[in-house]
Amino acid sequence: MASTTKSVRPTEQLGRLQSKNKKRGIGGRIKRYANFYVMFIPVLVILFLFYYLPMYGIKYAFTEFTPFGEATWIGLDNFTKLFEAQRFWNAFNNTLFLSIINLVLSMVFSVGIALLMNEIGRLFIKKVVQTVIYLPHFLSWVVVAGIFTIILSQETGVVNLILEKMGFDRIDFLTNEGWWRSIFFFINRWKETGWGTIIFIAALSGISPDLYEAAEIDGAGRLKQTWYITIPSLMNTILVVFILNLAKIMNIFESVFVLYNASVYNVADVIQTYTYRVGMQGTFNYGYSTAVGLFKSVVALVLVGFSNIMSSKVTGKGIV
Amino acid sequence: MKKNFAARAATLTVALSVIAGLTACGEGRELNPNVYENKNQYVKYAEDGTLLEIQKPDKIKLVTDTNLTVENGQEKFRDEYVRLTGIDLDLEQPAHNQYYEKINLSFAGGEMPDIMEVGNTYYPNYANYGALFDMTEIWEESDLKNGRLKDWNGDVVTINEKYVDALKITSDKNKDGIITEDEKNRLYGFPMARGNGTVTYVRGDWLKELGEANKLGYNHKNDAPTYKGKAIDFDEGFIEEFGEYMEYMPRNYDEFLSMLRAFKSKRADIIPITAAGLINSEAPYDIYLREFYQDARPDFYMPEGSDKYVDGMSEPKMIDALQRMRDAFKEGLMDREIITNKTSTSRNKFYEDKVGCFNYWSGMWCKTLNQDLQKKNADGVAVPMPPLAETEYIERPPTALAITTAAQNPWGVYKWICEFSHDGNDGQMLFSRGVEGEVIKDGDKVKEITGHYKWIEEKKSAEALTPMASPDSKDLVQKGWISPELSINSFPDPIYIEDKITSSLDMFAKTSRVNPVPKMTLNIADAMTEISTIREEVIAKVVKGEKSPQEGVKEYETRASREIATMMKELNG
Repeated sequence: MASTTKSVRPTEQLGRLQSKNKKRGIGGRIKRYANFYVMFIPVLVILFLFYYLPMYGIKYAFTEFTPFGEATWIGLDNFTKLFEAQRFWNAFNNTLFLSIINLVLSMVFSVGIALLMNEIGRLFIKKVVQTVIYLPHFLSWVVVAGIFTIILSQETGVVNLILEKMGFDRIDFLTNEGWWRSIFFFINRWKETGWGTIIFIAALSGISPDLYEAAEIDGAGRLKQTWYITIPSLMNTILVVFILNLAKIMNIFESVFVLYNASVYNVADVIQTYTYRVGMQGTFNYGYSTAVGLFKSVVALVLVGFSNIMSSKVTGKGIV
Repeated sequence: MKKNFAARAATLTVALSVIAGLTACGEGRELNPNVYENKNQYVKYAEDGTLLEIQKPDKIKLVTDTNLTVENGQEKFRDEYVRLTGIDLDLEQPAHNQYYEKINLSFAGGEMPDIMEVGNTYYPNYANYGALFDMTEIWEESDLKNGRLKDWNGDVVTINEKYVDALKITSDKNKDGIITEDEKNRLYGFPMARGNGTVTYVRGDWLKELGEANKLGYNHKNDAPTYKGKAIDFDEGFIEEFGEYMEYMPRNYDEFLSMLRAFKSKRADIIPITAAGLINSEAPYDIYLREFYQDARPDFYMPEGSDKYVDGMSEPKMIDALQRMRDAFKEGLMDREIITNKTSTSRNKFYEDKVGCFNYWSGMWCKTLNQDLQKKNADGVAVPMPPLAETEYIERPPTALAITTAAQNPWGVYKWICEFSHDGNDGQMLFSRGVEGEVIKDGDKVKEITGHYKWIEEKKSAEALTPMASPDSKDLVQKGWISPELSINSFPDPIYIEDKITSSLDMFAKTSRVNPVPKMTLNIADAMTEISTIREEVIAKVVKGEKSPQEGVKEYETRASREIATMMKELNG
């Protein structure tokens, strides 16, 4: 009964506040919250300067533009050229495939490990485990690539030495199209899973112990508690993290760049590595690069929109 | 919620379209297309038409990519330049990995330098875009070209003009498809130094050991190495440093394979030959693995005596080259990780006493490779191998000092940067050896080293003072900005350069050709991106045995057909 009283009061207060605000009108409301608006100004300025003003550069996607002369309006030519390039579509497909699988694996492993960590009772062990699994995140991709190149080396790598001792043939893990993606996903998980658990561990600590107590009284075991309490409680966090990461999936670059090579372009080349190679040829064609960037942003926007719709369908509310 | 989101997305799209439409074309930046019209303001001629005087600029803005870091004494360099010339030097060195990005931004932002360092991949592009001053005329009239400069000893400064010629290109800046004779072979940059290139280093100690045990399958006790049928005229330093290994050096491809096999049988963990990839990422593409490529060229090139470009990838000799690489890889003679090797990884394998042959830069690297190998194996020797009878080495086009069309007085910039840095005198000493200094001692301990070298005898000899590049290195300084060992003119360098450095360069120079600057247009650059990718993929597949050389070349021709057609049209049209 007590908890019901607590939950109703703020709602009533909020309702009264909202109706008062409506009566005041915009001017009155601005006046009333003037201090908050003043505090918001720096954020607004930063947003405008660094997020909205640069959008002015989108115009270059429709021009032939180099740093050495005036931009020439060419309409959709840059996009036509982009969509006609077979290599681009290969890179586009790889970007989606590598990023989405990586994202799904990231969610599964991060949530899974967060749940396991939540079960560790001894604080010292929990802290040690957390530290150990966070550490790889702080290594740069170049270092990680170096480590795994040594481990997976066909000549001297420990994995191949073990395979050979066991009577198997040596495997060219990083130059073999069949192996490259699996290795890529594995290395990504090794590096980033620990870091990915942070937000879920935080969310887990926010779940009311009362719920578990009540479930226990009702006879629910650990698995059922996880299924019916923990996962539903985490669902909002999972969706937020998923949607935020989904918006970034077109930006995959460094992890691929340090691990790929000519033998695996078919399965590894992504949009960013493709545009990097275009840039390496020294065309200085900023118009084309902007068109690629704009296309990436549009795809990311569509993906976020799609996730939002899915979120509305699954949870009854969107987050955008 | 759905409706709200759709409305927001639509609003954003419309807003972006409006912004894009309203701001369709921004204001362009003016370079200085009329620079020639101002010429008489800066240049005076004698009555006989020879160049008499060039007006000294008050200030020069110079952007560099190499060596002139703050740690290497950039401030002192600037001060000394101002002292020697009376010209204010605005000197910048962006981070190496952002160099061209920064250069481009400076053009886009209207803060272009007067002169900048440009590598050969970017040089033709900048020229095509009209960013570089056409300095053909000033070079033809210059004191350096016409033998009017004298060095410390009073001798005329001479220059190896093949390096200047290597930078002459036919610009495509008019983009009208019609290039007049006057527009051909124009000079848009001055060579800083020789382009240098790679030679194949062989483990001399292993070679000698195997040769003395008659395990190589050949012997050349009585015949000297040759290049194009003539005995190579090695300098004394080369004979002294590496002469003892020459009788065991392979002279042709068959002997080279025998040597690799002998290396392989020497120890189980030996990699007979390694390299940083099967094909270089920029022109010259076949600079590595010369023994396998031989006369095949995985690039578009103009055969000798022809005036038309051909696609080297589609020539029968490329199939032979691919077959050689594939066979060597299959036999275990080539590093199994050659496709994923970076330069640093292949270098490290060499230092770890595991590699028999390694293709790497001549000159300074000859010393470094030997030095670092000997840390692991005191008896290890890296010997630069003269090219096999079937091939030759390739020299990159030089890096250019390019005057931009933003320079108000390009004649002055040429005179006080390009020529001053090659004057065989104080200017060249500053640019190639840095600033004079001294070692300040506190008792027996070195307290501070204030410059790069100290004169022993006025302008005759000097001793190097500071470590080069790395402060931890025990090597004494070899350069200020422009590598003195790669000098393109007759500079009476007062500082001794070790034989390992000069002799490997000398052998390389006598057995190599200078690769021309690749022709470049916007269409070529676009097409080359795809061609390079497919070429890399195909070569890797063939070498790994996934495709035959014929299948590989066919795949290349099919997948890159549109780009190949573009290239042929642009190059020969």
